[in-house]
Amino acid sequence: MTIQGPTRRDLGRGTLAALLAMPALAGRALAQGQGQAMKLGFNGDLSASPSAQSGRAAVVGIEAAIEDLNKEGGVLGRPLSLTLRDDLSQPPKSIQNMSDLIDNERVVAVLGPTNSGNALAWRHIPNGKRVPVMGCIGSATDITKPMREGADNYMFRVGSVDRTQVVTIMGYAKKNPRTGRIGFLTETTGYGQGGLKDLVEVAQAQGLAPAANEKFNVNDTDMTSQLAKLRAAGVETALVWAQGTPIGQLMRSMEKIDYFPTVLTSWAADNLSFINAAGPRLAEKPIFLRTVSEDRTPHQQAFFERIRPRIDADSAFSFSVHGYDGTMLLARAIQQAGRADGPAVKEALEDLRGTLAGYAKTYDKPFSRTEHDALGAADQRWTCWRDAKLAAFSDEVVRGLRPEDFKG
Amino acid sequence: MTATLLQALVSGLAIGGIYALIALSFSITFTTTRTLNFAQGEFIGFGAFLGVAVLYALSGSGEGGSFAALTPAASEGFRYPAATLAVGVALGVLGLLLFLVAVRPFAGKPGMSWVMSTIGFGIILQSLGLAVWGPAPVNMPSPFGSEVLRLGGAGVRPQEVAVLAAAVLLMVGLDVTMRRTRLGKAMRAVAHDPGVAALMGINVGAVMLGAFALSSALAGLGGMLVAPIASASLFMGMGIALKAFSGAILGGLDNPRGCIFGGFALGLLESGVALWQAQWREIAVFLLIILVLAIRPNGLFGRRALDKV
Repeated sequence: MTIQGPTRRDLGRGTLAALLAMPALAGRALAQGQGQAMKLGFNGDLSASPSAQSGRAAVVGIEAAIEDLNKEGGVLGRPLSLTLRDDLSQPPKSIQNMSDLIDNERVVAVLGPTNSGNALAWRHIPNGKRVPVMGCIGSATDITKPMREGADNYMFRVGSVDRTQVVTIMGYAKKNPRTGRIGFLTETTGYGQGGLKDLVEVAQAQGLAPAANEKFNVNDTDMTSQLAKLRAAGVETALVWAQGTPIGQLMRSMEKIDYFPTVLTSWAADNLSFINAAGPRLAEKPIFLRTVSEDRTPHQQAFFERIRPRIDADSAFSFSVHGYDGTMLLARAIQQAGRADGPAVKEALEDLRGTLAGYAKTYDKPFSRTEHDALGAADQRWTCWRDAKLAAFSDEVVRGLRPEDFKG
Repeated sequence: MTATLLQALVSGLAIGGIYALIALSFSITFTTTRTLNFAQGEFIGFGAFLGVAVLYALSGSGEGGSFAALTPAASEGFRYPAATLAVGVALGVLGLLLFLVAVRPFAGKPGMSWVMSTIGFGIILQSLGLAVWGPAPVNMPSPFGSEVLRLGGAGVRPQEVAVLAAAVLLMVGLDVTMRRTRLGKAMRAVAHDPGVAALMGINVGAVMLGAFALSSALAGLGGMLVAPIASASLFMGMGIALKAFSGAILGGLDNPRGCIFGGFALGLLESGVALWQAQWREIAVFLLIILVLAIRPNGLFGRRALDKV
């Protein structure tokens, strides 16, 4: 047998090897230019609590945005990179991560966190060190409020806001001629009680008074006692603020005592944990709000198909959208400021020029000095479960809602 | 009003049955080894997830649905009993492991190292579970369907009746075993005095191993029973174990029947207080426990003073 030159197969193998090695080679190239790479940070739960799937979905969105931005040559001529810090949903760990990202990793901005409570625990840090934070998951109203009246505020958000949702569902209750008496049902966690505070204030602002106000524990499997009291008070519309599993248990308890008021609830009902607890039939009862409609535009559908293999559940898609849009808005602000230092980026975010076609909506002046939430009442999409799938919800009340109905 | 009270009674008995079962499992290890498995909560959650995994494996591809959303078909026929048996055996083995690595090296020695080592064992177990199955709660369908049964105006699900029935059967079975059989007598002898029991020719080590295997198997069964009601979650067991432990303390840790009483009492108390003001429930429950312990430090039916080391 004579010694031959490389065969076609050998050439193929060589190409394959080069292709396989490419990410590593590219990574090395990036590492060599690390002096120039602009670091973004993510701090949030990626593994420990049931909401970790939302955190992971947001990271998928952020990474997709960074990929797109780097394809266009990065920001201010520098590539972007993402530094991840898992806070395991624990506030002390989250606080530690925040200092680590800002002081050691020197990130230009932080995205996250997953759990609202953690944002409330550390928001004094980015505000003190003047590093912008873009929220994309936690929905507590107070996250984006300044620490005190008139203080500089570095907390921004592209995502759901509890207060906005409460205002919108209360608007629905007020407008619906079949609402009758309203009652509140809330979970005793920080999330539920924050929602209750919003419910009480917004009801007052819209001139509604609850006939009953009951609470339940996040791990309860039987809420029949609380529901019996709502029924005794003649409640026909229940406004519920809780996480996915307890809302599911609530629906099951309603079936036990055969009492089905109209249920308007928090967006947690979009979670898989809700339908798992409620079962597909009872899951069809409540209506709730999301920031991304299930009737996806072609633009959204393309993004959905691009990232779907990397997220845990269809319902987590909205977090990827928030993460993507938030990252894009940050990049746009850095570009506009011409530099990446915190105060300049914050100024630019509060006065963003031009429009940005994001996946949740087209942003036109998304933030101002006083408004740090990019998505408002008009950006809420009515949703429900149909045949074990999320679906867009509409009825004559929804169609009749006008901006002036959203008071509080 | 009667319907509401009846509903509270039914709901209280259903959850009380689980508290009683787990309270009994605490009592089993305490009476024989003077130690407790503080990882019992993690064992419940781990058992439930293992059950989901077995059901998923048994139902094969297609008809059983995905791992996160098993369809009712996944629990039909022999599958749920088979999964329950598998979980019982697996958790029993896990209990042996727990005893060998986390309890025996420290039992009987001064200090409370076994408290930390069992808690640590639980954290390791939970972290392993999180790594394998992820943090999201998953659905376990009930083998008895999910149609509501009506009892004089109150509604109850078949699984809740099954939980109560299974818990009562297990508890009666264990009670008879403890009081009537040679094995039970050996266990009680070890509980009374391990030294004397050993002199009487009882294999004390084997009895202690058996106690941990049984206690852990009960936690696994508890997880299998509760999962169709509460969704399987690696975090589901903590609340149950804490309440069950409270029930055991209330009834007297060293008295198995007292533990069962304590568990049921706690379940009924919870649903009773919820009729009045649900947010006062935990406060009322734990105030009562403190009150009982102030008057009877060994619980309502406890007899012996706790060892002070």
